[in-house]
Amino acid sequence: MSSANIAKGSRHLRIGLWYATLFVLGSLAVVTLTYLLTASSLEQRDQQIIQSKVGEYAVVYERGGIEALEDTVRAEQQTAPERLFVRVVDRGTETIVLSRPRGWDPERLELASLRLSDGTLVQVGKSTESRDDLLARFRAVLGIVTLSIVLVALGGGLLVTRSATAPIRALSDAVKRIIQTGRTDARVPQTASRDALDELTGLFNSMLDKIEGLVTGMRGALDNVSHDLRTPLTHLRGAAETALAAGPDLDRYREALADCVEEADRVLVMLNTLMDISEAESGAMQLQREAVKLSDVVSRASDLYRDVADLKNIVVHVDAPDDVVVLADRTRLEQVAANLIDNAIKYTPSGGRVDVDVRRDGGRAWLRVRDTGVGIPADERPRIWDRLFRGDVSRTERGLGLGLSLVKAVVEAHGGSVQVKSEPGKGSMFVVSLPLE
Amino acid sequence: MRALLIEDDRTIADFVIRGLKEAGFAVDHEADGEAGLASALRQPYDVAIVDLMLPKRDGLALIDDLRRRGITVPVLILSARRSVDDRVKGLQAGGDDYLTKPFAFAELQARIQALVRRATRTPEPTTLTVDDLVLDLLSRRVTRGGVTLDLRPREFRLLEHLMRNAGKVISKTMILSHVWEYSFDPQTNIVDVLVSRLREKIDRPFEKKLLHTVRGVGYVLRA
Repeated sequence: MSSANIAKGSRHLRIGLWYATLFVLGSLAVVTLTYLLTASSLEQRDQQIIQSKVGEYAVVYERGGIEALEDTVRAEQQTAPERLFVRVVDRGTETIVLSRPRGWDPERLELASLRLSDGTLVQVGKSTESRDDLLARFRAVLGIVTLSIVLVALGGGLLVTRSATAPIRALSDAVKRIIQTGRTDARVPQTASRDALDELTGLFNSMLDKIEGLVTGMRGALDNVSHDLRTPLTHLRGAAETALAAGPDLDRYREALADCVEEADRVLVMLNTLMDISEAESGAMQLQREAVKLSDVVSRASDLYRDVADLKNIVVHVDAPDDVVVLADRTRLEQVAANLIDNAIKYTPSGGRVDVDVRRDGGRAWLRVRDTGVGIPADERPRIWDRLFRGDVSRTERGLGLGLSLVKAVVEAHGGSVQVKSEPGKGSMFVVSLPLE
Repeated sequence: MRALLIEDDRTIADFVIRGLKEAGFAVDHEADGEAGLASALRQPYDVAIVDLMLPKRDGLALIDDLRRRGITVPVLILSARRSVDDRVKGLQAGGDDYLTKPFAFAELQARIQALVRRATRTPEPTTLTVDDLVLDLLSRRVTRGGVTLDLRPREFRLLEHLMRNAGKVISKTMILSHVWEYSFDPQTNIVDVLVSRLREKIDRPFEKKLLHTVRGVGYVLRA
């Protein structure tokens, strides 16, 4: 786990550093450019000043000779805020310095020269001292600015990458918690943003929902199965034990052994049915879906009970058009229809009638099984779907109390629903609705 | 008839061996996949019964090996797994039939006999006879002591099944799958009802009873 942490930590440190470096490089380019532009424009301005001065003095010199220039320079340079350096070199290489500002440094001088028609050279110089001071201050300011940019970039980069990777960290923390504790009810908090990460979080949560449903279903199934098998296993053991305790008696032994086989078969059927119900309820049931005509399903199922119904003198009437087709597991649907018809015949007294009909309505397929039987008391009606629930009437009949639970679980696994209407003494009606193909 | 049983569970092996011996088979038994494969390669058998979960070499790999080496012995797979996938995998690996544990011995025997029959291709009989009960498969007529009996189609199918397996106990599950082609138990006495209808026609008017109930196991037609 620690190595994972380091890897993750170094990843967003790396992203942060990359971001900061790029940011700083960009800023440096801007700062450098600004500095160079400023420096060159200052230099240009100085050049302009001294160039125009040199032109001016050349005109004065040509008109009035060295004296006039001397007067002008003196008059100007004594009053000027920034004094300039002025020098005249004539053809005879005699140098006349007209103005030499105090404390000037010949190294730091911007110079402009103009040679006149008689060969005399007029030069004007301007100290770069103030310009250099200005640029030095500017450099200092730029340095501070650059430093703060670096700091902001680093900090901001780390912050941004941290907040960008926060959902990923939340996701991996949640996964870690689940792996460590085995608790599948933990969820990753979702943000309001509708970005890709949020979608991933949502998908991950729904995957957890699904897993939790499966796990809970399987756990519940295990609990139920171990509980429900105790009764028939007690019968099984009891039959064998009683026979053994009674002493040698071949007929009695035969009887006990037959009981044991029957009870073992019951346990097996019960186990299979309970597993089917749990699988269907938890979504783990493997449905071999194909296009199935409901009319085939009900005619096969009612055919199965033809003899039993005849024996009880019950009419089973089937009304099923051929055009109601659903995408379903054929065997499972046959089991559903068979269980409903089985129930209807079981709880309908001799001379009664069972109506099975199929139709399509409102975009769904409907399967109805109506009987003229004893009906289900109102207080028992909600509980008939529970595993192993047996109403007062049904206790006297053969059965496990799992038929309707299986019907409900299988129908719902197919995306359908099942309802019951009943009037005690008059009959019951079970209605299954399924999505059409 | 020689059968090879490869099964590591001692109790199941014992009861299968005993049952098959009573049914006239000579049975060899191996308790793991390696020994089972060696036996199957050593000598020819009429049928092999193979458990899927075996020590050393599992059943599927064993069957696969047999088929690769050209051994065509009919194989009946025994398994505690009942899902459709497992069944399909078993048959794809080269198994010929698949039976889920726990099973009724009667069913195991019937399936083994069907496999052997298929492999040896014994000519189909056209009439089946048990005592004075005669079923003509071509004309679909049933007579007992010369008296024609009027059977409904489903009763005829049940009787045919019982007569083909005369002397052997047939379980309710087998009847259900054979007569109605249903693979689940509808939890109602529909088999009892059909059997008693048949009994009404073939036994009731006659002195000697042929169709017997073996409580807890099933039904048998016996002279």
